[in-house]
Amino acid sequence: MSSSQIFKCYNRLSRLPLNNSNSVLVTSVRNHWNKDYKPGPFPKTEAERLAAAKKYDMHPSEYAPYNDDGTGFGDYPKFKAQSAESKDPNYPWDFPEFKRNFNEPLHVQFDLFREDRYDINYRPNPSCKVQFAQYIGVMSLSFLIYWLCDQVKGFLPAVPKQYPGVGKKHYTFD
Amino acid sequence: MGQSLDVYQSGIKLYRNPDIIPSPLDDPTFDPNLGFKKPRTERVMIATDEEMRSAKIPLANRDYCAHKLIEFKACRKENWPFPVKCQHEKHAYLTCQYEDFIMRMKEYEREKRLRLKAKKGELEI
Repeated sequence: MSSSQIFKCYNRLSRLPLNNSNSVLVTSVRNHWNKDYKPGPFPKTEAERLAAAKKYDMHPSEYAPYNDDGTGFGDYPKFKAQSAESKDPNYPWDFPEFKRNFNEPLHVQFDLFREDRYDINYRPNPSCKVQFAQYIGVMSLSFLIYWLCDQVKGFLPAVPKQYPGVGKKHYTFD
Repeated sequence: MGQSLDVYQSGIKLYRNPDIIPSPLDDPTFDPNLGFKKPRTERVMIATDEEMRSAKIPLANRDYCAHKLIEFKACRKENWPFPVKCQHEKHAYLTCQYEDFIMRMKEYEREKRLRLKAKKGELEI
């Protein structure tokens, strides 16, 4: 199959209407998916576990798949989540845009931890507890100062306003 | 009487000597004629309730100057759209308010001095 034929095929598939076509086919073509992306079934026996570790080129003691709880991760190994934003920017990465080396295994949620997405390793400095303490401290100090000043509130040296009324008598100084 | 800086210290003074410094919320406690040779003249309310209600004077303004306020408002209504012609009425009303406040300040100072005298035991009642 020549490249022009492939292009033709690809083009035709990508323009298929979604409602009356093989949606799996459309998805795989449109999103450049192939069967090698799919992990194998969840390893149930020790032999399967060793085989899966070998498949992912990992030492069996390091290999640990996700729980078989229906998320469909199969035998894909767990990696420690580290977002690209927290990786060393000065290291000569093979793919600097992803801060990733060639053949480096990816976390299951790699697409979430890219530099333009969420930084899972972010830790606020000062920490949330310290920030809360700072907030409480500043607010309490403000209210303390307000309360103290409220105890000695200034006033004009005059008696309350004199309104005429039944049984009320006010006098001039003439 | 209260100088400008005195206003800022008035709260502290009241806090320190609550038995001598009168609170601005308290009415005078001594006999109004105490220390006067002849009885003091009473303040007279000129505007009646009926007049004030008719002129829709707010409750806060129904003091001893209310009759001047009624005159001022009536003048404004007569001369509208030239309320500047009522400058005399306005000035009269504001002067009345000023004198009213001076009277309140004098009453406060009298109360303060009488309290001080009473504490020293110099007051003959």
